[in-house]
Amino acid sequence: MKLLARYNRVTLLTTVVVMLITGIIYYIAIHQILINDVDKDLEVEENEIFEYARQNNHLPQVFESNDQQISFYDARPGSVQRHYIDTLYKLAAIPGRRRYRHGERYESGRGLVTSVTTGGRYYRVLIVKSTVETEDLVKIIFGITIGVILLLLLTLFIINRLLLNRLWQPFQNLLKELRSFNIVDSKDIPQIDTTIAEFKELNQAVTSMSARVKNDYKDLKTFTENASHELLTPIAVINSKLDTLLQTDNFSQQQSKLLNDLYTAVSRLTRLNQSLLLLVKIENHLLEGNHEIDLRPVIEELIIQFEEIFQDKGLKVSAELSDKRLNTNPYLIDVLLNNLLSNAIRHNHKDGEIRITLNDHKLLIQNTGENVPLQTETLFKRFHKSSSSEGNGLGLTISRQICDNLGYTLEYDFHNGLHTFTVLF
Amino acid sequence: MKILIIEDEKGLRESIEEYFTEDGNICETAASYSEAIAKVNVYRYDCILLDITLPGGTGIDILKNVKENNYPDGVLIISAKNSLDDRLEGLDLGADDYLVKPFHLSELRARVMAIIRRKSFSGNNLLLFNELTIDLLAKSVKVHNQPVKLTRKEYALLLYFIANKGKVVSKNAIAEHLWGDGIDMANNFDFIYSHIKNLRKKLMEAGSNDYIQAAYGMGYKFTDQ
Repeated sequence: MKLLARYNRVTLLTTVVVMLITGIIYYIAIHQILINDVDKDLEVEENEIFEYARQNNHLPQVFESNDQQISFYDARPGSVQRHYIDTLYKLAAIPGRRRYRHGERYESGRGLVTSVTTGGRYYRVLIVKSTVETEDLVKIIFGITIGVILLLLLTLFIINRLLLNRLWQPFQNLLKELRSFNIVDSKDIPQIDTTIAEFKELNQAVTSMSARVKNDYKDLKTFTENASHELLTPIAVINSKLDTLLQTDNFSQQQSKLLNDLYTAVSRLTRLNQSLLLLVKIENHLLEGNHEIDLRPVIEELIIQFEEIFQDKGLKVSAELSDKRLNTNPYLIDVLLNNLLSNAIRHNHKDGEIRITLNDHKLLIQNTGENVPLQTETLFKRFHKSSSSEGNGLGLTISRQICDNLGYTLEYDFHNGLHTFTVLF
Repeated sequence: MKILIIEDEKGLRESIEEYFTEDGNICETAASYSEAIAKVNVYRYDCILLDITLPGGTGIDILKNVKENNYPDGVLIISAKNSLDDRLEGLDLGADDYLVKPFHLSELRARVMAIIRRKSFSGNNLLLFNELTIDLLAKSVKVHNQPVKLTRKEYALLLYFIANKGKVVSKNAIAEHLWGDGIDMANNFDFIYSHIKNLRKKLMEAGSNDYIQAAYGMGYKFTDQ
């Protein structure tokens, strides 16, 4: 859920609830005040009746006026408790009256039940006043309140939309920067133009974090490079000692097997080391320098170079090449082609097939092999390799890195039993 | 031939020295910049094997010194730095070749021999080995003056063997020399065997002696003894 939506929901909901509660309290309060007013009027009327009864010693004339009715009933002395009631006000058929309740001639009223003793008789007195005017007043006030609430909600909603969108703009900008953040890039996260303290703080935190991350990454790369470099000399010594050992004397079969294994291990170690160094260099853009080359003869040369290996594995190689001129780094292209073709050979089965297609847009290297697609998520990860692989698990990482550097796209696809690597120029 | 090995790593220096020392060869060594510069300025060598990172200085300065004084020595840089820039800088300054550590001694020797051949057989592109005649320019081989048709790799293999004659050359070294980095895709080096068999057959059918011996399943030796 978007922050704005969430914020809107919370604020609007609270506003509605608070406004409703306020409205109810308002309604009750105003109603109460107005009822009190009516009650005071009723009391004045009561006093008038008492006064009249005391002076004249009989009940006053009952007549209807001013939305007010007074009625007297005989009652057992002492039976009437003085109290106010909400009641109905029965309308007299006065022309021009508009208000009827449920079609009857009643409207809401407020009454006072009291008693008076006059002329030796005890009467129950009921004074009823119409409260229609009061109710109307309350309704108008309530209506206005609701109107204000709705207007406020609408205003809030619009303001939130317009203002918050604008307010969040620096955040969006920062987010865009973060999305395009690449640890390998030399580009830093720029200062966002904002006066909002929170965003400034966020910007600062992100900038310093990215700088720190980049620094750490650089350290790590330097470490990898130094470590690989330091390893080179001892490997070179081992290699040369093996070559020297080979010259010494006759070896038994067991000894020569051991020596062979040592050679193989050392050459794997060498290649791994060189791959690591190469990867660091590519990532650091240390291998620059472009030339215009034609890819076709390069690939043809490579196929000739690997001829014996194809034969050894019984691989059928078919190439469909058209001329493709590229302004690129020949060394990196060489490594890329070598890696992709090596993979196509290494992961092939005996008497398998390799197809190489080159046209103006792309280079396809397809090979038969295990009849299951490779895991694309992990395919290009460092040191990820199938258990049967003899490689060092860096070949595809390097290939992808080279493509990234040269601005190409490297894709993998499995179709009709063919593993396909595509370089899109 | 006379060779100067400038390399500060003792193990490597000794191996190279041992591999190159034989009848008719003189190997001298230098383990530091000052030692190297002293020798370079006094004696002439057919080939100088030059490490770049040295205690007391850099091999690049030694190379510059050689070139400024117009010494005719061949220079082969052996460096742990495998970057195009370093390679280009070295070659631009006049080095004859650039070999990246780690390397096989047989590869080093093949390169050194190539440099010395280029330096000393100026105008003469023929390499002779008993009844074998190799025209380095035309890349053709004759046995008893009869041409033998070799493939590109067989030719390279023969040159490699002759440069390392009398030495056991491992299958790994041969594979890396002929197929380069791509070789790690091969599960075994059996195809080298058939390759060598072909070369041997072609040479012997043309009347050459059998010079190629298998060495305990690890490699091969090219020898006339």
